[in-house]
Amino acid sequence: MSASTALLEINDLSVGLHARNIGYDIVRNVSLAVNRNEILAVVGESGCGKSLTALSILQLQASPPLFITGGSILYDGRDLVKLSKSEMRKVRGPEIAMIFQDPMSALDPMFTVGTLLTSAVLAHRSVGKDAAEKLALEALADAGIEDPKRRFDEYPFQLSGGVSQRAMIALALVNDPKLIIADEPTTALDVTVQAQILDRLKELKKDRGMSILLITHNLGVVASVADRMAVMYTGEVVETGAVTDVFERPQHPYTNGLLGAVPRLGGQASDLTPIVGRVPQPDELPVGCTFVDRCSRAVAQCSTTRPILHARGRVEVRCHNPVG
Amino acid sequence: MSAILRRVLLTILLLLLSSLAVFAAIRLSGGDVTAARLPASATAEDRELFREQIGLNKPILTQYVDYLGKVTRGDLGNSLTNNAKISTLAVEKIRNSLILGGVAIVLVFGIGIPLGMMAAFRRNSWLDTSISSASVAGMAIPNFWLALLVVWLFSSTLGWFPSAGQGGLRYLVLPSIVLAAEGIALTVRMTRSAMLENLGQDFVRTLRASGLSESRIYFKHVLRNSLLPIISLAGLRVGQIVGYALVVETIFGWPGVGQILVNGVLRRDYPIVQFFSLLLVVVVTLGNLAASVGYTLANPRLRK
Repeated sequence: MSASTALLEINDLSVGLHARNIGYDIVRNVSLAVNRNEILAVVGESGCGKSLTALSILQLQASPPLFITGGSILYDGRDLVKLSKSEMRKVRGPEIAMIFQDPMSALDPMFTVGTLLTSAVLAHRSVGKDAAEKLALEALADAGIEDPKRRFDEYPFQLSGGVSQRAMIALALVNDPKLIIADEPTTALDVTVQAQILDRLKELKKDRGMSILLITHNLGVVASVADRMAVMYTGEVVETGAVTDVFERPQHPYTNGLLGAVPRLGGQASDLTPIVGRVPQPDELPVGCTFVDRCSRAVAQCSTTRPILHARGRVEVRCHNPVG
Repeated sequence: MSAILRRVLLTILLLLLSSLAVFAAIRLSGGDVTAARLPASATAEDRELFREQIGLNKPILTQYVDYLGKVTRGDLGNSLTNNAKISTLAVEKIRNSLILGGVAIVLVFGIGIPLGMMAAFRRNSWLDTSISSASVAGMAIPNFWLALLVVWLFSSTLGWFPSAGQGGLRYLVLPSIVLAAEGIALTVRMTRSAMLENLGQDFVRTLRASGLSESRIYFKHVLRNSLLPIISLAGLRVGQIVGYALVVETIFGWPGVGQILVNGVLRRDYPIVQFFSLLLVVVVTLGNLAASVGYTLANPRLRK
């Protein structure tokens, strides 16, 4: 996993909330790499900064009050943080596309699926309307929509949740990006539809050699689609590595706790071990390790010194006293 | 189909009820046309004789039935003060009022929407602050006072525009601005808040993520979404302009429906009041109908 092969490399990224009287970072020193033809899952609970990390790659965070306060985001060798607005606009779509959580509210209700798709094409390519419509129909088919011609003329409110998420995927595919960022793409969907959408993402990786950055809070989703994973807690990456390695031998007490809290088929309710305590607010984080108050393995150093992300075995972990 | 039929029947019922209300109200408001029609020296007997000639001494209900009968035969009656045929008067008055009201409606949306968009696009800037403050003023200032103000400034002091009467375009400027002022102010505020609300919607982020330009997102997508509430309240704007026309036409001596109606009321010219106030009811009803048809056409959820 050397730097030269990574398609997207986030280094030491911090994103902060800055308004008149407040200012603190929500994403703190995050480093991630998405390799070509790979699915990286970023997992963590609500508010851990995973969505904000994803949004800031394309600078889609609500700014103000959210600003990138440090670090770099290298895509294909270019630092996205330094791009001008018009350069960034050219990246959105043909280079990096994004799929959002709630497809029902993420599609403009006043336009047909076809219009939304063709205007996305025309925003980047100087082709005729017919050519754009042809690309749009292809994208709908590629997204796994059964009757593209019919859906083309339908409005978002006429689509079911699953079909509108496919329409979102089509919108992401229509400009043939190299990287797709999928922010909780299945959270709003039924379980059966979830599985279909995840299969579709896996096929896109396999057939088109795409890279996918998948944001999720669902460890089951991670296990079924991702190659590598990064676990986030309070805006930091606390553990990252191949999915099999992390699942088999979690080293950060938080990862360990998360996996211990997943119910297993045939298991007893008493097998579940919840993580005690609650997540500290981003403006009142402990000085040392942010997990210290909830950690059973905390040592003296944990309250005073912030651990750094370091290689340990086959994974990287941010902990003074890792498991195992 | 049944929805349309129901709407038509309701409109007819509304017209009947309001005709009755107007008919009764103007007769119960005291005084009658003899004060305006007969010389001050006329005796009580003269006045009574005149009332008898034009049928004012019959019971109100009988008068109303007679009136309805005439109207259904297409006879709108004559003015009691100068005997002019109302059907002839109406053509000219309606034409004049349509010109003034039409220009005012165009101003309400043609100025209100772009200003509201500018305020939203440059929110919290000095431009937004000025537009928003001006729109608060526009809502707060009563139109009769605004009329006096613009006449004093642009007519008496600067001499740019005539203060009253009818002629070329120059005569239209002051009355149409005064007539439209409050509507413009309300449309600015509504456009601004609708634009800002829609700018915060998830779909805007999706459009940005597809690489659409900000101006395309703003002028095509956010605007189209924001037009819905504006269209849905367009009926109210029409009603407002119709109501304000009474004041504005009178102040600016604009020979339209509003002016003849005000004069008719002052002189107790019953047929004039009855016809022209019903006309206003019709216009307001049609305005609301047009707004709801427009809303249906503009909203894909209702169109499909």
